[in-house]
Amino acid sequence: MAVGGYTSAILCAKLGWPFWAALPCGALAAGLAGLIFGLPSLKIKGFYLIMATIAAQFIIIWFIIQLRSVTGGTDGLLVPKPTIGGLSLSSKMNYYYLVLVFAVLATITAHNIVRTRSGRAFIAIRDNDLAAEVMGVSLWRYKLQAFFIGCIYAGAAGSLLIHYVRFASIEQFPFWDSVWYLGMLIVGGMGSTAGAIFGVIALKLLDELVTVAGPILAAAVAPQAAASLALISHGLIIIVFLIFEPRGLYHRWETIRAYFRLWPFSHEAAE
Amino acid sequence: MAKNRWKSVATIFVLMVATVLLLSGAGAAKTLYVGGTQSLTGPFAEDSAAVLAAIEDYVAYVNDTKKLAPWRQETFPADIKLEVMWRDDELKPPKALSIYEELKSKGMLVARISGSPIALALKDRLWEDQMGATSMATGPYYLSPPQSCFTYYPIYTDSIAAIADWFKENWKKARKPRVAYLTADNAMGRSIEIPEMKAYLQKIGYEFVGIQYVPLVPTSPPTTQLTWLKQKGVDLALGVMINPGSQPTVKEMVRLGMGPNQPYKMTFGVPAPGHAAVFAEAMGTLGNGYVCAGSFRPMDDLATPGIKFCSDLQDKYRKGKRITHIMYEAGVLEAMIQVEALRLAMQKVPFEKLTPRDVLLHGFYQIKNLPTGDISSTPLTYGKGDIEGVDQVRIDQVQNGKSVKVGIYPLRHIYTKK
Repeated sequence: MAVGGYTSAILCAKLGWPFWAALPCGALAAGLAGLIFGLPSLKIKGFYLIMATIAAQFIIIWFIIQLRSVTGGTDGLLVPKPTIGGLSLSSKMNYYYLVLVFAVLATITAHNIVRTRSGRAFIAIRDNDLAAEVMGVSLWRYKLQAFFIGCIYAGAAGSLLIHYVRFASIEQFPFWDSVWYLGMLIVGGMGSTAGAIFGVIALKLLDELVTVAGPILAAAVAPQAAASLALISHGLIIIVFLIFEPRGLYHRWETIRAYFRLWPFSHEAAE
Repeated sequence: MAKNRWKSVATIFVLMVATVLLLSGAGAAKTLYVGGTQSLTGPFAEDSAAVLAAIEDYVAYVNDTKKLAPWRQETFPADIKLEVMWRDDELKPPKALSIYEELKSKGMLVARISGSPIALALKDRLWEDQMGATSMATGPYYLSPPQSCFTYYPIYTDSIAAIADWFKENWKKARKPRVAYLTADNAMGRSIEIPEMKAYLQKIGYEFVGIQYVPLVPTSPPTTQLTWLKQKGVDLALGVMINPGSQPTVKEMVRLGMGPNQPYKMTFGVPAPGHAAVFAEAMGTLGNGYVCAGSFRPMDDLATPGIKFCSDLQDKYRKGKRITHIMYEAGVLEAMIQVEALRLAMQKVPFEKLTPRDVLLHGFYQIKNLPTGDISSTPLTYGKGDIEGVDQVRIDQVQNGKSVKVGIYPLRHIYTKK
């Protein structure tokens, strides 16, 4: 996200590129960065891969700080108002519709990727990489492809975030956000497009709840209680899902749907 | 039948009178809003909660008495009521942006900044809207134009310069003192990493050694960083930290035998977010030698008029729920500045026509020598290109578990000139 956000910010702020041209470039730059950091995935997997990609977070932020003349370092970078064809997107509502369009397009694309040759290869590698390789699936090619596509999504999101805030700063890409994005997948359900959407909605609603409950808790108990409420509640919900519903909200949704599809004879039908 | 008719007529009459009274009442109530975005969730929650409480108390005081402070003769217009408007931004810039837009649409004429991430995201938007804002954060990013965010303690780089001045003044050895940054790993901490700061340190006779970072709220003791400082023979470590960062850092320093009163002599100094009074209360004598620049006086220093005022406000409006956090003083200052800006602006522009721009130009920019009862280092003065408020930096040091004033130094105006 930081690579995508900063790339489009630099293109707009330093080179005067229009928003619509800078955004895909930001996504592409993030995809390329993903290729680099995806290289270890060929040799390692699971926990070790997570550790390797976490390192990317710190390396990228370090580079942003060091390249002060380009990125503004810790001072950040002011980004001009986004416009498309003379239409200013500075109002919240305009920007909401733009992001909505992107979200719909991204969802449709992700949904369709699963049906392609690459998508089937991704599923095969996820389920059992050894078996997939034996079947002739190139791990090298498809793992890197997965990193590239995933990072393009992240880059576009980072670019949209930066143009909304109209300011690029390392503060907008804290390590904890990376953890919560992973938490969204755990809560929503991994391995499905709908699961990601469920996860985002669940954790964002929790976020809003914390915003309401935090000040009340601060007044009633102590300000320190509010300080950690977001961390505790997010961590707690992830633990609860890992223990009681590791397949996430999407699986729960599918179960409910199946029940009503067969209702009122679900018991007989199941038999 | 006739009785019912009369009843209906009487009811309609009463309703009409009530409506007229209600409308006229609503028209008469002239309300101005103060406050703004707060970070009531996250690392600054404790600070922000104290600030918000103080803003609420100060507003209640002005509404009740129409006075601005016990030591001031000016009064607030009698027909205007102040109201506090705030939302929790969780220290997240996108959320703060939404809050700012919401409060602006509700008629807020002043704003506030709750931390460096919010400052970086909001400051240019505030300037575009010509909206003046008080700020809990005070980094050099404010000093490059545009300027509509006003601080009440010195910019971090100026605080660091004051500590360096104080330390150099007390330096007895023949060799140059060695200085390094030991600072929080975020925009606030890294804001002192500007060439002008390093150049100033070298100009006044320091040998600059390097930089080490500590997380804003460390999850493990910064042993590696401190050992590095020890190996490099550092005499003065400077950084920007909040108390949740500086306290574990100093505990680890003591464990490693580092500090002004430890076998390895090294002084550690930070600007205001690491308030010495808060630090001393939490650390006691373990924190001896810790230096803080531009901070506020301890909350029990009742000989100071401003602190006495803070105490009186709490006696009146916060019975049984007293706030001992030093940022209560910051909240009183912020409320004072916002209310003063609104008051001054109303002397030039009538209430009905007030815009954020009027409050910025005829309010904030016109604040000169605002007496704060010694809560801030000096009375506050703002203007175009002058957003720092104070012109001197007070240095406090923890001695025998108490925060003690050890000096006051002029601002050096060290920042990146763009």
